Amino acid sequence: MTKKLLIAFCLALFIIAGLCGSGKAEDAQALVQASFDYYRGKASTATVDMTIHRPDWERVVTIRAWTKGQEESLFWITAPPKDEGNSTLKKGREMWIYNPKVNRVIKLPPSMMSQSWMGSDFSNNDLAKSDSLIKDYSHSLTGTETHEGKKVYLIQSIPKLEAPVVWGMQKLKIREDHIFLSQAFFDEDLKLVKIMTAHDIQMLGGKLFPRAWRMQKAEAWDEYTELTYNELDFKEDLPENLFTLTNLKNPRR
Amino acid sequence: MTVDVKMAWRNIWRNPRRSILTMTAIAFATLLLVFMLSFQFGSYDTMINSAVKIHTGHLQVQAGGYQDKKRMRLAVPDPGAIGTILEATPDIEAYTYRANAFSLVSSKERTYGIVVIGIDPAREASVSALKKVIRHGSYLSSTDTNQALIGELLAKNLRVGLGDQLVVLGQGRDGSVAATVVEVKGIFNSGQDEFDRSSIHIPLSHFQEVYAMRGGVHEVVALGKSLGAIPAIKKTVAGVIEIKDAKQPLVVLDWMDLMPGLVEGIQLDLISGLILYFILIVVVAFSILNTFLMSVFERTKEFGVLMVIGTAPGRLTKVLLLESLTMTAVGIVVGIIAGILITWYFQVHGIVISGTSEVVRQFGIPERMFPRLSFLSITIGPTLVLFITFLTALYPALKVRRLQPVEALASV
Repeated sequence: MTKKLLIAFCLALFIIAGLCGSGKAEDAQALVQASFDYYRGKASTATVDMTIHRPDWERVVTIRAWTKGQEESLFWITAPPKDEGNSTLKKGREMWIYNPKVNRVIKLPPSMMSQSWMGSDFSNNDLAKSDSLIKDYSHSLTGTETHEGKKVYLIQSIPKLEAPVVWGMQKLKIREDHIFLSQAFFDEDLKLVKIMTAHDIQMLGGKLFPRAWRMQKAEAWDEYTELTYNELDFKEDLPENLFTLTNLKNPRR
Repeated sequence: MTVDVKMAWRNIWRNPRRSILTMTAIAFATLLLVFMLSFQFGSYDTMINSAVKIHTGHLQVQAGGYQDKKRMRLAVPDPGAIGTILEATPDIEAYTYRANAFSLVSSKERTYGIVVIGIDPAREASVSALKKVIRHGSYLSSTDTNQALIGELLAKNLRVGLGDQLVVLGQGRDGSVAATVVEVKGIFNSGQDEFDRSSIHIPLSHFQEVYAMRGGVHEVVALGKSLGAIPAIKKTVAGVIEIKDAKQPLVVLDWMDLMPGLVEGIQLDLISGLILYFILIVVVAFSILNTFLMSVFERTKEFGVLMVIGTAPGRLTKVLLLESLTMTAVGIVVGIIAGILITWYFQVHGIVISGTSEVVRQFGIPERMFPRLSFLSITIGPTLVLFITFLTALYPALKVRRLQPVEALASV
């Protein structure tokens, strides 16, 4: 008797959960979009320290970054002096890199998109396809937890059919105030490949923002790349002519 | 004993045509096996040596883990010290240093991700065939800096010719951005498409400067005097290196570690060959079985007589086995001699295989193949033939023991 009750109870729970799930799908979508808008802003300028950590070795690169909407970004390395002036322009899903020593702009071929960006744990695809999460995936809410007294939504993102994606699944954690806490990348076999986590949430550029972002590979936990914001300004707009090949060679400070 | 041998010998020549046919079948099978095995072994040697000559060398010293991950930082810090060790190792013919970096290479029109290889021009020429496969332009000289050798297919893909500039963009050993502009000095065609499509070669000194190698290299490549000497060299070098450098491990890899695909290809070919030879031997065995059985059946009455006058069945078996073994032995000896003669002829003159296919070209197999006689290639086949014919002969020889003398006498 108790067994039957238990089964009935479980079934009921399952159905309710299912209903909630389907009802919340739209919400999950909206949540991801809102969170994306929150951290990208309309436009931004930032100075970021990128720390590439390896067990026996570490390296810090300082990057000046401009972003506009989801499509356009410009990165310019300011330190160390040896690498100063190397820059990357992203427009839509295309990327160009510039090296001052040889004074040449190179458009990245598709075969290079999965390679690492500037030797970090970020791939060129992570930069070029940053908007892919919104366009190519359908999101569903799988649960909630709390973080610093605030509610956190756990979201599972599965690529849409025939979407040109790299990952088999992503899992996101988004706080109720739209702050991105983590993004885990899984391959086609749903095995964890790498995970990006946000830390040190504080007031930055006029709003709460994680100051540090860390990307690490699943198979080597002592290897990671951390982005630390030194400066962050959200702007209403940035001029369109900022994101051009001319500016890639010689960006304004 | 002598009577038995005499009987066996006479029995063989009672039907000379049949016996000669049987012996010819055995001889032919033996000949074929000796030749084919020598040919296969010879072609493996050619394959290995030409693959080794194109790039990998017989043996490499690398930082532990480099073979799997190819990371810039996994470098051999002091190549000179390894060079000194190799100088002191017997049976090493030549050695060279190389450094590799996956980089973007860009012409005016196109960009590809390929491997940039830093080579020591003089040493490289003594280890690999690179200098010999330059088709246009010329090989690097020791004074060159930002000059490059490029594979023919890559040159076609990038749409560059001699004297054109290439922008190279990659990452240095310290993680910094490595960039340089090099000029195409020579275009090579090794015949291995993968190699011709995916690499450019620049002088090692320039590579070390651009990629901040701090004097390090990724591979110390050595060529042994012969393929057979490699295991011993590997052992010697590994022994010295492991004691010398325990903190940052260096490893010695031979051609089998470096080209697992080639090893698998050879194993597959050998196994499929052996299956074919086995089938051949079984076919021969059945025809021999037929002959042996016939010679017993047609002599049933004779055996009956022998048994009646007091011959032990064991002795009959012995005579029959002697008979078949003698035939097999004659066949095998003739087969081995003919096989050696034919193989030796081709070992000297070579066999031209025209129209080599793409697959064969991938391993850089030359058009002329040379079989190679060795103790193994001469003995494996004949041993198999001997073993199987003996098994075949056992059946009729044992069957004789169950003959009933009275019934045997009655048969025609």
